[in-house]
Amino acid sequence: MKRAVFLFTVFFAFALAANAQGLAIGAAMENFSLPDLDGQTQTLSGLTGKNGAVVVFLSAQCPVVKSYNERINQIAAEYAAKGITFIGINSNATEDLAWVKSDAAKVGYKFPLLIDKGNVLADKLAANATPEVFFVDSKGVLLYHGAIDNDRSGRKITEQYLRTAFDSTLSGKPIERKTAQAFGCTIKRVGQ
Amino acid sequence: MIFPIALGLLFPQTVLLQTNPTKGAAVASGKVTKIDINGLKPLLKPNGKPLLINFWATWCDPCRDEFPDLVSIDKAYRGKIDFLTVSLDDIGDIDSEVPKFLRQMKAEMPAFLLSTPDESAAISLVSKDWAGNLPLTILFGEDGRVAYQRNGKIRYFTLTAELDKLLAKPDGIK
Repeated sequence: MKRAVFLFTVFFAFALAANAQGLAIGAAMENFSLPDLDGQTQTLSGLTGKNGAVVVFLSAQCPVVKSYNERINQIAAEYAAKGITFIGINSNATEDLAWVKSDAAKVGYKFPLLIDKGNVLADKLAANATPEVFFVDSKGVLLYHGAIDNDRSGRKITEQYLRTAFDSTLSGKPIERKTAQAFGCTIKRVGQ
Repeated sequence: MIFPIALGLLFPQTVLLQTNPTKGAAVASGKVTKIDINGLKPLLKPNGKPLLINFWATWCDPCRDEFPDLVSIDKAYRGKIDFLTVSLDDIGDIDSEVPKFLRQMKAEMPAFLLSTPDESAAISLVSKDWAGNLPLTILFGEDGRVAYQRNGKIRYFTLTAELDKLLAKPDGIK
């Protein structure tokens, strides 16, 4: 009995540690369910395209997201035709549904935006910034994580991290750069 | 003496650096020095005192909210620690929005603006636990170990307690 308790404790500790560390490249993302802006429950599997999906953490307030919105919409529209879909996530405790809806309408996102109340998904993926992207394949396996490109302003982009990851995947080649970080706004978690 | 002053007049957005610009030298309020990743590296190393660094941007609301507390900490610990700020604003704002905000805050900490095409490398250089989200405040002990790291608005009393702990240590004992 003591051994069973010990083994359970060790297993539980590892599980917690794994969750605390987020999602590693090559690991499968949980098939999460979250409500969209109309309150309808959506799932990762239901929204993933035949060649994968991008989970992108967004914000109604963050100026960095605002500078990326046009680019995000362009990339989303371009790659939707190639079977890669976008799924927007708002995990910010400081942004209520009315604000998120109003902002989404102004921006005109070309993809669903889901509400991650209590930042549960953000915690599971260890997402910290907006914008921050997780590109998964059609089975939910993480292929690329991090920044969309290397310039917030959009005027001096020299590295198109996300587009390059898409193009590599679509042509059956391995993604050379699987992670890249950039400066952005902190996800406003509950209690922070 | 004349040469550095002349160069400073020619390039107003830069402040000529001594060997270590963070040596407790309070700069004129609002002066911001441009750095790249090579300029960032030496700033991350303590030099005889605890080192407090705050990464921020004018576009970051919590960064702006916490700034008055940072200015208070600077005043309270001036001379006992090295404290500097690194802005991640666009380089185009180095002579406008960034110094304007620092002047409003009456900030006197040495102020830098990081401009680099490889933000990912800069983020990894600062901390392996950082995803690049702002604000970030790190307190290094004299030995370079991280005594406090906060991703998000600082907790004033937590940070000052850590500062007091570091400053209370007997000489030579870490």
